[in-house]
Amino acid sequence: MDARIKYSVLLVGIGIILAFLPFDAAQTFRLKSNQLLTRSASDDMYFSVDQVARAVNSEDSTIQIIDVRSAAQFKECNIPSSINIPFDDLQNPLWEATLNQKKVKNILYGNGDQTANYVWTIVTGLGYPNNYMMKGGLNEWFRTVMLSQYSGEKITPAENARFENRMNARKAFTQVNSLPDSLKTKFFNAKRLNQSKLDGGCN
Amino acid sequence: MQQLKNLKFVILIIVVLLILVIVRNSDQNLFKQDVKRAIEATQNNGNMLSHDQLSQLKGSWMVVNIGNIDLPDSVQVEHSMRIPFENLLNQTNRKILEEVDGDLILYSADVATASKAWVILNQMGFKNIYILNTGGNPEELKYKFQPDTTARLEQDSI
Repeated sequence: MDARIKYSVLLVGIGIILAFLPFDAAQTFRLKSNQLLTRSASDDMYFSVDQVARAVNSEDSTIQIIDVRSAAQFKECNIPSSINIPFDDLQNPLWEATLNQKKVKNILYGNGDQTANYVWTIVTGLGYPNNYMMKGGLNEWFRTVMLSQYSGEKITPAENARFENRMNARKAFTQVNSLPDSLKTKFFNAKRLNQSKLDGGCN
Repeated sequence: MQQLKNLKFVILIIVVLLILVIVRNSDQNLFKQDVKRAIEATQNNGNMLSHDQLSQLKGSWMVVNIGNIDLPDSVQVEHSMRIPFENLLNQTNRKILEEVDGDLILYSADVATASKAWVILNQMGFKNIYILNTGGNPEELKYKFQPDTTARLEQDSI
């Protein structure tokens, strides 16, 4: 039989199989449901507010803080050095390089725990590595960092270090969020430039 | 007949491919939904159900407590059961969830667990799943940031 006919039959057969596949080319989870459930059931995906505050204070370049609230909420106030990836815009291809990478740890936060958990479950389901959450979200940040006060008579070195960490993070948060929007942009651009110089980059 | 014989290798390849596709897609643990579906369903908290809304439900429903803490006393529900989150998808529990006639309402004292379970079940193709919200809006910012107009950054930062 003519080879052309054989190839034609093969291609038509494969085409029919592909046509009947139950899902289309849309984004679907790569992890299996039992794998995702096992990961979701552990607490390994959480960073505490104090850990995030420490990362902010030390300008830790191995951590990228991601605000998953709306752009308007982000503009109102945000954790210093965080970037905004609104939950509604999660499927924008622009964000894939940030969310799906192996270089830095992404720490997601919303106002509470709900939106960050939606985003974490989706990106983890999609197979993106290195995504974590700040437990309690911005409400917990305010409660712990912005409003914390020490009221005891004696303070241990560990408590003192924790309190100082919170105070420094509070100062950075207040400074950055008190700036007018134009200066905020200028500040972050300057910071990025400094970072790239430290990393040995040109711009 | 002769033509079929000539095509036997081609047919064999197609059959093998078909079997592989069937085996892969019959895997119960495979997600088949578009992520977009989950994102859209959560818009304006469309997947949340308040206590009042629960009491007004007319069709059949089942509340599944996936947390470690009992339902609050204020929520009196006849149709409720507890399934630990980590066992949500074992064979017995999956069958129970699949057999729920009507709305499936998830509850956990911390909204995080219910949110993760909701996304997983939504992406598995479960329909009419809601999260029972016994408090206020969990994503409301409870604090108002007060800018410090006297705060100045170091000049060399800008």
